[in-house]
Amino acid sequence: MGVVCVFACPVPEGKSGQQVVDGLQKQVEMMGATKSGNFLVDCETYQSNPQNVTQTPQQCVVNILHNSEHPASCFSVTESGQILVSDLLFEDLMSKLTMAKAGRESFYSQRKGFKIESRGQRYEVGDFIIKIGSVSLASNFRGILIEVEYCPCVILNECWNMMKELLQSMVGNSAETPPPVLKHKPDTVYTPSDTILQYLDHFNNFRKAVSAPPPSR
Amino acid sequence: MDPSMVQQTFKAAPLTTEFFLQGSVMENSLETLVNRLKGLCDNADYQQESFQDHEMVFHIKNTSVPTPLVFRVRHSLVQTECWSLRYLGHAEVGDKNRPTLVRSYIDCPTSENVAQFIGELGFRMDHEFVVKGFYFHKGRMKITVSKFYKMNQPGNTTNDTIETVCPSYLVELSVVTSSGQEAVGDDMKNFAEQLKPLVTLEKTDHRKIQLAQT
Amino acid sequence: MQKEEKQLEHTLESLIQRVQDIKNSIANLLVKLENEYNILQWPSVLDNFALLSGQLNTLGKLLRNEKVPPLRNSILLPIALSGDRDPELEKVTERRVIAFNADVVPHYLRTKPEPEVEERLQPVLNRASSLTPEAAQKQINAMNKMTSNIVDIIKSHQETMEKEANQKSSLSQTSSQADTNTLLSAVLTGKGFKSSGMRRTDMAQQQSNMQAQQQAAQQKQQGNAHGKVQSSIKTNIKQGSSTHPYQRN
Repeated sequence: MGVVCVFACPVPEGKSGQQVVDGLQKQVEMMGATKSGNFLVDCETYQSNPQNVTQTPQQCVVNILHNSEHPASCFSVTESGQILVSDLLFEDLMSKLTMAKAGRESFYSQRKGFKIESRGQRYEVGDFIIKIGSVSLASNFRGILIEVEYCPCVILNECWNMMKELLQSMVGNSAETPPPVLKHKPDTVYTPSDTILQYLDHFNNFRKAVSAPPPSR
Repeated sequence: MDPSMVQQTFKAAPLTTEFFLQGSVMENSLETLVNRLKGLCDNADYQQESFQDHEMVFHIKNTSVPTPLVFRVRHSLVQTECWSLRYLGHAEVGDKNRPTLVRSYIDCPTSENVAQFIGELGFRMDHEFVVKGFYFHKGRMKITVSKFYKMNQPGNTTNDTIETVCPSYLVELSVVTSSGQEAVGDDMKNFAEQLKPLVTLEKTDHRKIQLAQT
Repeated sequence: MQKEEKQLEHTLESLIQRVQDIKNSIANLLVKLENEYNILQWPSVLDNFALLSGQLNTLGKLLRNEKVPPLRNSILLPIALSGDRDPELEKVTERRVIAFNADVVPHYLRTKPEPEVEERLQPVLNRASSLTPEAAQKQINAMNKMTSNIVDIIKSHQETMEKEANQKSSLSQTSSQADTNTLLSAVLTGKGFKSSGMRRTDMAQQQSNMQAQQQAAQQKQQGNAHGKVQSSIKTNIKQGSSTHPYQRN
């Protein structure tokens, strides 16, 4: 477990998502990276039914994410950024909140058509782990996310420059500065929750972009 | 192991059914009980394992039905990094042939911010308490002997601010497993027999106790 | 005279009936022993013996009955011996005795025990007759004394055992149903954990606030204390602080 940075990779006009992914895969294989299985980060969103939750009149949203890198854990994030790391059983607890019972309407319900995930190939090259994921929202392709992890280090500032070089060769200038989610903690120990928050940030951007015209193919 | 396989295994057989029996032992017989349990249980050659937990009981309420949904946050006062969020279903008494009570039981280990987290979900704390005691295991059976303390200052779990609610210790015998494994009930019944007449572990109907409160 | 004859006839009939019963029971037992010796259970063998002993008792009672004329006084005379096959006799004896001839008659009409039995019986009878009535009485008294002693011992054991059982049940109480109920209602409904003075919602609010503060402080401490890398995922979570980007969204 080291420092992870996640960046979106732009899909240029006239190219399909698959073409870009193929190109990136060829590029990392040229670097000498070896395939090491698949990866998946997924996210489901639940929202409160404010009329049913007496204590909080405003609507609450909670995102539940999984990362195949930590298969026995479940990450839950509220709108304020409070992130709970727990056993997978948390989903059973969540189902108690979404269940209507004995005349009581459910406290929470799942947002339909909001399931978003990044899925793709995992590579290893030296001390780096590279993941190239296609993002799909309700099974529709929305974009590409590149995750790079530098394993030997847990402090972002101490390895950012090295990671920047690798990242820029893949996603270009958007990797000029560290991911915004990590800006407030350049010198503290990196945790798996930080990875989840980066993914959620990107997922939220993709969801917002749905109303805008979809990326060209 | 393939990550997706781990997730599948977790989902295929969720251990969310608890078979249990309850009883109590008076303070003067605690030592006898602990000695007997030491002899009966698996961890006989070690010092018995003890625990000190702080439990916060959270309610989420609904306008349509006043009965709240209850989640319990528990954390160890000894190993302070251990937190868990628990849900306990209503205990089913079932028919006479069923040897134990059965309830749905979800005990989910979490990070330490769980209280704030479920606070943001709309839960409010109803009450809190401290529980101290011993636990034993025999095979997949777990036996806890616990004493409950009222907290006189909110949030303060130190010994000089808490007081017992009852001099007796609660004794619980339980097995958490997947649903439908009724056979464990017979093992538990046999074990409970061995504690008689020191402690009588029974199917106590929770509805009667709750009714007596109102 | 006729009356006595009738009585005798009646007695003989019932005697034959009883003996027939005993014979059947013995035959049953023998069949069982021969054919089912591998699956035969000891209790069922005992049952058969019990049946036999019951039937023998009935036979004995019948003989002692007052209405039965003293059979000892009756004489059985073989009227005719014959070497020829007698089909009637064959039928009655189930083909055991084919002819009533000089070979079988002495056996079947025997009035004394067999010689071997007599031999074994003789020394016992001799010893009994050699004993003086006083000596016999002495032995009987000794026997009675011994049995009454044994009865006393058994009785005293019984008493002590009962006493112990009583003591156990009167031992100090080890558990109380009332306490179980108090504990369960505390765990289930929170009774006894809540302060009565404050309004519950206020208290809950206050407690959860205090809890949050306390935890935040605790985590700060922990964060400072452990600056090291931890492999465990769950213990290494950072607090969502006010500077977090999601707060602004």
